[in-house]
Amino acid sequence: MSSVRIARTALRARSAAIARPVQRRGYADAVSDKIKLSLALPHSSIYKSQDVVQVNIPAESGEMGILAQHVPSIEQLRPGLVEIIEEAGGSKQFFLSGGFAVVQPDSVLSINAVEGYALEDFSSEAVNSQIQEAQKIASGGGSEQDIAEAKIELEVLESLQAALK
Amino acid sequence: MAFAWKAAGITYNRYLAIAARVVRRSLKEGPRLQAERRGEMDLRFAKWQNGKQGENKSLGEANASAMAEQAKAE
Repeated sequence: MSSVRIARTALRARSAAIARPVQRRGYADAVSDKIKLSLALPHSSIYKSQDVVQVNIPAESGEMGILAQHVPSIEQLRPGLVEIIEEAGGSKQFFLSGGFAVVQPDSVLSINAVEGYALEDFSSEAVNSQIQEAQKIASGGGSEQDIAEAKIELEVLESLQAALK
Repeated sequence: MAFAWKAAGITYNRYLAIAARVVRRSLKEGPRLQAERRGEMDLRFAKWQNGKQGENKSLGEANASAMAEQAKAE
């Protein structure tokens, strides 16, 4: 009889413990200091849910540095340089042609772009010759669409030229 | 945020395609030759009406003229 009562109280004590989890929560267990980064292009993925320390992105609203536990947000990217600071301490730079960065809860960051290459893959001569060509079209007497396209090209090329310096 | 290219009827999709094209062209010889193949698109379409196939048109050209018309209408 008494053993049954003990079992019951034990059961009640356990269910109470389940209902109210331990309230103590240290900063170290609550906050991971890494971001899970996925950097995807239509034809390849450069990062696949890899832990990194910080990612600097060229958002349309301005340059942004993203660390762990960032507020969830969606940012449109300008054509520009993305800098990734990896766990080992080194940093990598990629030039992206434009796309979106999505900061998800729990330190998950997804960046989508159409084209992205490491800086050493670009040729500054090709950039300079294209700038001259695009400037000619932009100030020429082509159709409204041709001029607008040349201006988009100029925006990309000037950002690329600044990144290559 | 106002984008100048929107006034010319250019869509965001087209904007991204132009930006990607110019990035591919700026690459060094080796990666460029491989990458430029990705930019090629040659789709054609025809409208069928009353059981007859209409004129065969290039999708790229049709899109460009649609964007020009869009810009004029605004």
